[in-house]
Amino acid sequence: MKTRVQGLAFFFLALGVGLVAGCGGSSGPDASGDVIKLGAYSVVREAFHDALIPAFQEHWKQKTGRVVRFEESYNASGAQARAIASGFDADVAILSHTGDMNQLVEAKRVSPDWAKNPTGGIVTHSVVVIGHREGNPKAIADWSDLAKPGVGVLYPDPKTSGGARWNINAIYGSAYLASKAAGGGTPDLAAVADLLKRVQANVVNMDASGRQSMSSFSERGIGDAVVTYENEILLRKREGKPIEYVVPEATLLIESPAAVVDSSVEKHKNREVATEFLAFLTSVEGQKILASYGFRPVDQTSPLLPEFPKPAKLFTMADLGGWDEVQTAVYGPKGLWTSIFSDQGK
Amino acid sequence: MASDHDQTGEADGINRLSASKWASLPIGRWLLMTVVIGWFALLILVPTIALARQAFAGGLAPLGRAMASEEFRQAFGMTLGITLVAVVVNTIFGVCFALVLVRQRFWGKTLADGLVDLPFAISPVVTGLMLVVLYGPDGWIGRHLETGGFRVVYALPGMILATLFVTLPFVVRGVVPVLQEFGVDQVEAAYILGAGRWVTFWRVTLPSIRWGLAYSMLLLIARSLGEFGAVMVVSGNLLGHTQTATLYVHDGIEGFRPEGAYAASLILAAVSFFMLIGMETFRKRLKASKQS
Amino acid sequence: MASVETTRSGGDTGLPDLVLRGMTLGYLGWMVVLPIIALGFQSLVAGPQAFLDAVLDPQAVHALKLTVVTALVMVVINVVMGTATAWVLVRYEFPGKKVMNALIDLPFAVPTVVTGLMLVLLYGPSSVLGTILGTYGFSVIYSQPGIVLALLFVSYPFVIRSVQPVLLELDRAEEEAAATMGASGWLTFWRVTLPTLAPAIFTGAALSFGRALGEFGSVILVAGNQPMKTKTTPLYVFGEIESGNKQGAMAVSLVLLALSLGVLISLNLYQRRWSLEDGK
Repeated sequence: MKTRVQGLAFFFLALGVGLVAGCGGSSGPDASGDVIKLGAYSVVREAFHDALIPAFQEHWKQKTGRVVRFEESYNASGAQARAIASGFDADVAILSHTGDMNQLVEAKRVSPDWAKNPTGGIVTHSVVVIGHREGNPKAIADWSDLAKPGVGVLYPDPKTSGGARWNINAIYGSAYLASKAAGGGTPDLAAVADLLKRVQANVVNMDASGRQSMSSFSERGIGDAVVTYENEILLRKREGKPIEYVVPEATLLIESPAAVVDSSVEKHKNREVATEFLAFLTSVEGQKILASYGFRPVDQTSPLLPEFPKPAKLFTMADLGGWDEVQTAVYGPKGLWTSIFSDQGK
Repeated sequence: MASDHDQTGEADGINRLSASKWASLPIGRWLLMTVVIGWFALLILVPTIALARQAFAGGLAPLGRAMASEEFRQAFGMTLGITLVAVVVNTIFGVCFALVLVRQRFWGKTLADGLVDLPFAISPVVTGLMLVVLYGPDGWIGRHLETGGFRVVYALPGMILATLFVTLPFVVRGVVPVLQEFGVDQVEAAYILGAGRWVTFWRVTLPSIRWGLAYSMLLLIARSLGEFGAVMVVSGNLLGHTQTATLYVHDGIEGFRPEGAYAASLILAAVSFFMLIGMETFRKRLKASKQS
Repeated sequence: MASVETTRSGGDTGLPDLVLRGMTLGYLGWMVVLPIIALGFQSLVAGPQAFLDAVLDPQAVHALKLTVVTALVMVVINVVMGTATAWVLVRYEFPGKKVMNALIDLPFAVPTVVTGLMLVLLYGPSSVLGTILGTYGFSVIYSQPGIVLALLFVSYPFVIRSVQPVLLELDRAEEEAAATMGASGWLTFWRVTLPTLAPAIFTGAALSFGRALGEFGSVILVAGNQPMKTKTTPLYVFGEIESGNKQGAMAVSLVLLALSLGVLISLNLYQRRWSLEDGK
């Protein structure tokens, strides 16, 4: 009997040793040196993880002789902003849109002056495009085609995803501006709502983030069309899995912000390196790296940076009245999309 | 009623007497077996094979690359570390609490007995949310920890707490029945012979519960390796820092790196398979020790 | 039985016993009771109106209905197939039986997220099976049948493992007596075997139902995110946490918690009654 107990004890001892060895091997390097905790939205993952961060580490080493280590978290923009607002101590927030950044200002995590820099707080540009299947079997060319019967549409959930906000804003904005122009300054909101409603009815699945939505389309073969960032499509091309896409005639310029999270850098005492990282993002070197991953440079006029074709009728959030106004008109309690969405399924 | 009836029933009654049920007819039996085994294959085996097939579809190279990556190793290291803590803490608690439940009488015992099962009944997401409510930066306890600079949610302690919560009942549930069966005769005999509590525990009690304990510890480990929902809610999903193996799988599928997810899933599935063999062995030992 | 449970008579509880009791009960209270109280308190602190608004949100109501319905469908299938499987495992001999018996518990050992991945790989639109099903206009992934399938997988062992031991101990004499008296096979099954198995079947059903109410990992991959279509309550709660609606998440969690507790308590009461009847 005793030997059996010993055998058993040995078994669990071995298991314990194995477990300890397992984590021993993984425990990170030293705790010294600079550390930046990055809270980013999901689609910048490759650009940051594979290229920008290594480049910055090199840059920081050359400049100060110090080593900087990164702890990276990538999540849907809205979810990431919510996490930071409710206590996730990221030092630098890279979010999909200004609306999410405003949440952090409200939560007193980010200074209200965050946008007061040469690029207005914006670090990347892109446009909203539609990816489709090979040969475009459903003949998708413009937003209205997404409302055709039998077209399975993918865009993520605007509750969590910043990408979804851009996507829906692009559809909303193109219809809004067109009907405003046709109506001599007064838009026909019923027509705008009707388009949004018919597109939403075609949505196959609303993933949590833009990245998940793209992955559903390309890895799992869901849907006929995916509304997404242009850079997501260009990234797939870079990775050797190209996806055909169209840029609708009238589409929205995506402007994604970044900011230092004051409450975190005060706690971690790393404002210097965090600020430098932020500046690096909009430097020529940083912008070149981002451009190679499909992001449009913030400064479109710089001769040092690659050029991207400009869509015929490119509009911005400012043309629609800015984030706050669209927030109320579309996603507020009585907003267009909110009412369409809560009607759905009834 | 009838001898007459008995007579007529006799012909096929022989068959019934030997196996004694409707499915004893060859056709019924074969049908039932086919349906049951087919269902088992469809529900359990085929999906497992689908995973293995997909994982090896691109050859071994992508799997190897995924496994060699820093993130992959860190995710598994994280999972193992959390599991180790859960095993140690909840095994000690489980054995102690089982002893209390079986050998002591006190007010509220029935309630305490029932409370142990709660973690089995609560959705993992709700578990995570409860921890956020309690330990989040504006939570009841978290508020005070935060001022002391100690972070629970979006960090490792929260993930350990979540795993401790979901694995709390296993050892208690595994050990209590064995202890009950075992009784106290030997324990009292040991006392009479002058052995102290500690000696009695190591020499008498522990050997008697060993197989039940080992079995429930394996269940605990399996659950802790696989915990996903509760951990997901409380982790900030920092690559390599608060990302466990299951979170790594989820991250891989939802992103563009399914190879990593396949490799990690394959390892997790293989580990659970070996656990299963261990459980089967321990269960047999348990049965044998009960009969002896 | 009772004499075994209370070992040394209540009087001579020593100090070490008290310490052990205090520490374990303290841990239980801290780990299990405190979080539940915190959730209950925080979800009700905003007042009954806010709580009701959150719970009666059309999406929350739909999620709860979907959760209960898919769980019930799963339970019905599981009861039939689980009982049949236990029967085959106990009464018949066939090659590979031991292996199958051991593999029954696989769903308890496999992480739920891996389960979800397996199902997506097997039935997803780009898989062989998914393509075949798709041509008949039948989809599994991102649809309700997928949820039921995931639930069936994760709760597969419950009914089998509850029925198996009872079936092993079931006195065949009764069945044989019934058969000798001329009762047909079916009649014997319905009148004699099934009533004996009923408590075990009920236990297995309740356990799998409880498990299904809270299931998250496997369902999140299979169901996707379609409010009013495939969003079950745990997914809804997760979505509300992620989108910052803590009030909604807590209120709906409390309802889900109450539901699971209800299942657990009724199962406990039922088992107590059953074991009492059994005892006399």
